[in-house]
Amino acid sequence: MRFDDLWEREELKGLTWRMQREYPAAQQRRRQRWSAMTAVAVTAVALVAFFTVQTSPSRAPRGYDMVCCNRTTFPDSHWVDLAANMLTAEML
Amino acid sequence: MLLPLLLLAACSHEPGTDSQLYDRYRQRADLTAAWVEGFRLNDTVKVDVLILVADDAAAWDTLRQEFNIRTTEGLTSWIGDAGNPVHRIQWTDGPCCKAIAAHATRTLCLYSLRDRTEYDALLEYQIGRLEIEN
Repeated sequence: MRFDDLWEREELKGLTWRMQREYPAAQQRRRQRWSAMTAVAVTAVALVAFFTVQTSPSRAPRGYDMVCCNRTTFPDSHWVDLAANMLTAEML
Repeated sequence: MLLPLLLLAACSHEPGTDSQLYDRYRQRADLTAAWVEGFRLNDTVKVDVLILVADDAAAWDTLRQEFNIRTTEGLTSWIGDAGNPVHRIQWTDGPCCKAIAAHATRTLCLYSLRDRTEYDALLEYQIGRLEIEN
């Protein structure tokens, strides 16, 4: 066997050995990187959703922040209108 | 990963700390209690409103006694402490409450006013609405 062939075989052996030793660690690093990227993406999406929901006209209608009632007889707008109409009625 | 959960928890809708009266009256079976938080008077001023609607005459009589409403017809309004109203339309220093009682519909509205700015904004709102309607 020529020197070049021997050299190549030994180099291949070395590469195989390094791959066997380093592949699990590299795989773990890849997993960690992927988890971190997922966490960042989820947080970003949650933040965007949160501020969209908070400022959405359907959730925070113009004229009031929120309405609570002990009965579900009327929609929120009924109570907001009533609060406004009572103020007008007082002036008449 | 906890941040989204914390933000969602902060988003949950519960009445503010100024709603003790609502907490008290929502338990009552003989009336409807509604709490409007952040009722907008203008671009910068918002007030909280408690609305109580009595189911029947007996419940309305009870409310009248509790809020010391002496009149029985038309509309009664006053400014004072919600629990101990003063029957006069006059600004009192410090936080107070403007109340309007409509006897025909057995409805009582209480507007929480924290300072003079909110009181003035309420008056301006009333005048503004009146001008729009006329």
